[in-house]
Amino acid sequence: MSNAAAIAAKGAVTQPAARAGANAGAPVRIAVKDLNFYYGQFHGLKNINLNFHDRQVTALIGPSGCGKSTLLRTFNRIYSLYPEQRAEGQILLDGENILDPKIDLNELRSRVGMVFQKPTPFPMSIYDNVAFGMRLYEKLPKSELDARVESALRKAALWDEVKDKLRQSGMGLSGGQQQRLCIARTVAQRPEVILFDEPTSALDPISTGRIEELIEQLRDEFTIAIVTHNMQQAARISQFTAFMYLGELIEFGQTNRIFMNPEKRQTQDYITGRFG
Amino acid sequence: MDAANTLAAPPAGTVPPAKRPSRVRASRRTADRSLRIACTLATLLGAIVLGSILMMLIVEGVKGLSPTLLTQPTPGPGSEGGGIANAILGSLVMTVIGILIATPIGVMAGTYLAEYGRASKLADVIRFLNDILLSAPSILIGLFVYTLMVRPMGTYSGWAGAVALAIIATPVIVRTTEDMMRLVPGTLREAGAALGAPPSVVIRSVTWRAASAGIVTGIILALARIAGETAPLLFTALNNNSWFNANLMGGVANLPVMIYQFALSPYPNWQQLAWAGALLITVTILALSVIARVVIKPQRAR
Repeated sequence: MSNAAAIAAKGAVTQPAARAGANAGAPVRIAVKDLNFYYGQFHGLKNINLNFHDRQVTALIGPSGCGKSTLLRTFNRIYSLYPEQRAEGQILLDGENILDPKIDLNELRSRVGMVFQKPTPFPMSIYDNVAFGMRLYEKLPKSELDARVESALRKAALWDEVKDKLRQSGMGLSGGQQQRLCIARTVAQRPEVILFDEPTSALDPISTGRIEELIEQLRDEFTIAIVTHNMQQAARISQFTAFMYLGELIEFGQTNRIFMNPEKRQTQDYITGRFG
Repeated sequence: MDAANTLAAPPAGTVPPAKRPSRVRASRRTADRSLRIACTLATLLGAIVLGSILMMLIVEGVKGLSPTLLTQPTPGPGSEGGGIANAILGSLVMTVIGILIATPIGVMAGTYLAEYGRASKLADVIRFLNDILLSAPSILIGLFVYTLMVRPMGTYSGWAGAVALAIIATPVIVRTTEDMMRLVPGTLREAGAALGAPPSVVIRSVTWRAASAGIVTGIILALARIAGETAPLLFTALNNNSWFNANLMGGVANLPVMIYQFALSPYPNWQQLAWAGALLITVTILALSVIARVVIKPQRAR
């Protein structure tokens, strides 16, 4: 707890990504090629080319409306819920183009999990929340289901707090606990990639610290993409950073380099706070 | 305007010199006060009318309460005593059948409007028709079911009555279901979809659950609404002075029509039974409304 608070309190720009060595040699998990995205007539993403490396945390930063959430929402095609939104180009997940209309969206989403800005516990028990994804496509015996629920809750650093009230409603937890419950729910499905869409912007500093620690641990198993408005957070937890502006990818590289020695003027202005 | 000015103008000498003139114009203060008085009076008027109806109902209704009220069927013309047991049972049966028909249709249609149809043309048309049905004169619905069922079947029946009540309850349930499901945040649906759940699963295990208290409230309110409906039963179930057949064919006794007929009759004991029936039905509807409020409370508190 004190450790988490310390992390949260630290103005960590001074030691960006100190504990996390970027591995540029890690294989590419997601390759974005010439991606364009439209909200009806509005051109939201323009010719994005970007690679996400296996078991690395990639942060998407940029001012509001720059398209970072839009980009994140293409990786599990959650935008397909809205008929007026469409993407063109290619997004290769392990070499397979997920923008292909023939792709099974539900299968894709079981491989690419997502955690949202606001905690979204379902109106059911903590146990059922975590088991929700597993029950969809796997017929597991109860003992195995129990084990998977426990392991997911442990990975989400929530087990000790909820182990005695698994049958209680998930809505009764605090905001930070709810967000970790949502992470557990995502982890339980054993995805390959986890997308975080500003996961801590609705949380207090302590909860934020715990989620950040958690993301760092999850990196051992999962490829992670995180949208954040908080540059210190990007510096603390990511190995790679992509800076976006007005629907374009301005600069991408190892987090250390982006924050210490950005190549583009716009990146420099944004990370130093000179940007509007 | 003159009156306002005189109100605001301080009588010379009585006001200490330190007091500055108010920033609020006197006319505005008068307008504020008069609106408040008008609103209070209107509320009082409404409360008095409602209160006196209830008072009269209780005073007259209690007089009609007797041990035979709940055990005996309605008496024939000129005979003494009797009860309204057959009317209570008939009302109960028809209302329950009506709500059993209306609930699945209403919830499904409301779900279509909130989840699948959303902004489609078809949904707009359905929403419009539903609003019309919601405010349609209930006697028309009675006549409609008369042509639809009573004439072809050649007899009044409890079935026809139940269908007429279902037609009245359905739009209420459609509307509340849609409204309550729309209140469920979109992020919850996205979260379901993001786990790979198809829309049908998200609706069943997430959206319906999240909106359940509101949907149940809508059903209870619809129940309260049809429990007191008279007009749709006049042409469908009609009435009967004896116990109904289990197959619900022929006229079926029910509280609203019984009250209507007995209240207009020349027999004092019939009029007394009408009062008692009216009291009973009012108390039932009141209880249902209270239950509906209790059900929705935990959701509001969240």
